[in-house]
This record gives sequence, C-alpha cells and structure tokens, in this order.
Amino acid sequence: MDISVPTTSMGDIAFLLIIFFMVCSNFAKESKIKLKPTDAVDIKAVENAKISVVIDEASAIYLDGQLINDVPTLKLLIENALPDKANSKARMVMFKCDRFASKRVFEPVLDAIASAGGIIVAVGEKRASEGESK
Amino acid sequence: MPFKPFRKKRPDGGVPTDSFSDIAFLLIIFFIVTTSLKRIVGFETELPASQEQEKKAATETPTVTLKVNQLTFMKAEMSIEDFKAKLASMKLADRKPSEKVVLLDATMETDYQNYYEVMAAISAAGGVVGIMTETK
Repeated sequence: MDISVPTTSMGDIAFLLIIFFMVCSNFAKESKIKLKPTDAVDIKAVENAKISVVIDEASAIYLDGQLINDVPTLKLLIENALPDKANSKARMVMFKCDRFASKRVFEPVLDAIASAGGIIVAVGEKRASEGESK
Repeated sequence: MPFKPFRKKRPDGGVPTDSFSDIAFLLIIFFIVTTSLKRIVGFETELPASQEQEKKAATETPTVTLKVNQLTFMKAEMSIEDFKAKLASMKLADRKPSEKVVLLDATMETDYQNYYEVMAAISAAGGVVGIMTETK
C-alpha cells in the first residue's frame, strides 16, 4: 500500500483562500507614502472609504496614492469623484495626515474635502490610555 | 507478413489541470503581499458649511482654542481630560443638530496630533466640529 499525502483537493483549497483574500482585503494604495500616524483614545472602527487623502511627512498631498500639486485641484478631483451627494456612505473621504504637520498644511485640505461635499473619516491609531502619546 | 501501418497516438483532449494549484498558490502569495487586513480606526465628521458656521459663530457657540501646548475652552484653560469631562457634561449627543457644533480655533503652528485629539474628543461626545478658518 502506497502511503502519500492526498493532493487532489489542493487546488480547491488554494482557490478558496484566494477568494477569502479577495473579499476581505484592501489594496495598500499608500504603502510608499511615509508618515507618522496620529493616535487618540476616543476613536473606534470606521468603514473604509472609496477615496483617500493623505498628507505625508514632507507635507505633500496625495489623492488615492497620486501626488496632487495644489488644494484647488484636490477639491475639483474630490467633487468629481463624489457624484452621489445624497448618499452619505458614498461621500466618505478617508483622511490621514502626519502627526507633526502644521495647521497651515492640513486645514486647507480639510476645508477642501468639506466644501467638495465629503464627510471626513479621520484615520489614526488607537491609543490604549491617556498619557501614552508617542 | 501483413503490413501494419504506423499510427501516431493522438493526445487526449482536455485542459491540462496539473499546474492549477501552483497558479492558485502564486495568486495567494500575490494577495498576501499586496493587501492589508488592518482594521481602520478613526472618527467621522461632517464639517458644517461656512455660511452656517458664520451664522452660529455670531451666537454663543462653544469654542475651543488650541495653541502649541495650551487648550482653552469657553475662555478657561484646561487639560484634554478636563475638556473631555466638560464635553460629557454638556450632553451634546442629546441636543438638536444645530446646537451640537463646537468651534475649533487653532494657531497656524498647531500640529495635527493635538488637533486630531480635540476633534476626536468632540466627535466622541456626539458633537459636530466646526473649523474656524483664517480669512486672508
């Protein structure tokens, strides 16, 4: 009697794993963008938004991983990307910013998102308790 | 001896499936490398339109002022913990939408970390953040 590992269903298992990864994962669009994330105690899990705006440690602005040169262009692009203003879920814009960025950098961006009709989903990292800030 | 014609054996029809599992595992590796399963945490906030903000600013809207290392709420200097306690005592979540606004004013040197903590505290207390922008 031959003793061997049954490999007949390996392909099926592999395809099931692929389907699992496709369904429950997000593509890391901003993996090349360098920033030190903010943290806070009073934050909870939020839904992923279709559009993401990131300000990196060099104060460069990115929309969905693409470098944007100025705030008016960003506003225009967000307006075009949010066609359904009545649906609040479709208006979500994920916003990430470097913790050391100054107000003169991030405030015009927040203002542009809001005036383009977006609901800001400000993303950070959960801090366990007060006084543990990095 | 009778002549026996040479017949080339024809291959069986069908899609070759031997390498299916290899392809599948390569795809799995691709998905593992290029995706993130990290859960996103933060808060949602819809900044009020500027006209509404101006209208409300004329009345008594609670205002929090941020300087580099100083937080002032309704003209009293306090720590972030006291600010959160004060917001909780105001019961913003039970108020009408127009009365939920807390204006956030900050100096240009304020960093995003401090700004974020204050915005997160207002959102967690059920309030709506109103950003005070500087007019040129």
